[in-house]
Amino acid sequence: MEVIAKYKDKDGKDVENKQDRQYHPQATNCRDTKMKYGAQWKVANIRDTSLQPGQAKKETIEFDLPEGVRSADVTVNLWYELTNPDQKFPIHSITKKVSLDK
Amino acid sequence: MKIATLVLAVAFLAMPLAASAEKAKTIDELAKMYDSSSCKSCHAEIYAQWEKSHHARPLMGVKDGLMMTPLAKKGGTAFSPDDPKKATVKNYPCFKCHLPQALTSAEDSVAVEYTEALLAGDKAKVAKLQITCITCHSDKAILHKRELGEPKKGVLYSTKAVASHPDGTFKSVEKSAVMSDSVYCGQCHGLGPNFDSDQVFQCANLYGSYLHNYVSGGGTESCQDCHMKKGDHLIAPNWNDQKGSEELLAKAISLDVHTLGYEWLKKAGTLVPKIVVGTKITTTAGHRIPDG
Repeated sequence: MEVIAKYKDKDGKDVENKQDRQYHPQATNCRDTKMKYGAQWKVANIRDTSLQPGQAKKETIEFDLPEGVRSADVTVNLWYELTNPDQKFPIHSITKKVSLDK
Repeated sequence: MKIATLVLAVAFLAMPLAASAEKAKTIDELAKMYDSSSCKSCHAEIYAQWEKSHHARPLMGVKDGLMMTPLAKKGGTAFSPDDPKKATVKNYPCFKCHLPQALTSAEDSVAVEYTEALLAGDKAKVAKLQITCITCHSDKAILHKRELGEPKKGVLYSTKAVASHPDGTFKSVEKSAVMSDSVYCGQCHGLGPNFDSDQVFQCANLYGSYLHNYVSGGGTESCQDCHMKKGDHLIAPNWNDQKGSEELLAKAISLDVHTLGYEWLKKAGTLVPKIVVGTKITTTAGHRIPDG
């Protein structure tokens, strides 16, 4: 998942800030600390950030804007990714305009 | 006594021959042994679904990736043979699920041929090896072998019994109670590390996730309830189908986004323009995503 905040700075230049999160089980061979990809190398999960049944995955992501910037367009893209081969499956893309003015 | 000795000697000599006679020596022989194409004439729709499924291409990865190639290369993995000509079925622990019949019905010569095919990038040859109707409806259909015995020859197993099955080889269908249960899929869509191997490895965790995070939360649906609706043998997802996979994921996974813009008083006299983005992802799946 990536969260992108786009805005214009005080000089009118387009700026894009991005943060991302990866949700997946992460395994090593348990002999060193390097994460492995591929069943032939993995031995056990050492961390699991994947989506679990019945459990909502919640995030709070903050962007500090430069002084004087009063609004931004925020886009959240969620996709499923197979890293071998490099293949992406877009799931959702939601864009919202955020203003600091009442 | 001489007769008894002779009989024992003949039996000793004959046993390995008989055993080897039942096993495939080549990829073509193994493919033929598990060929399910005769099922197509009566079960055309199911067969067409299966043909598009990952079960029909268990050694091809996604988009014909030949994902086991690292195992074929000398030094590629702890399992890899030093010499392709000396490869054995044990060099491919993945066969446990990706080609179960290799463990029961293939000579090591099949592993040699498979190794050479991987090294040569021979996709057509590797593609012949499939998890077929026979694999699931016979070999993997019984989980209680001490009570029920091995799958019977000439019998297929399904969720319902069929007294007379018009097929030259499989003349009847018996009911296997486990085939409508998640544990049946769990045979391969795993629990975690394979501790039964002398070199522990880990593939799928899906069934473990189902048991420990879905059933424990009160979930009652089975793998088949969601992935084999109306007997669908595609058993989605099919990662080679971009559009279909995107639709499936969008249906199963929801994303909510809320935002807030305000000026944060970082310290006295210093207001920082700030945007807060809250995301919430939920899933209807009865297992971890991603997993397999």
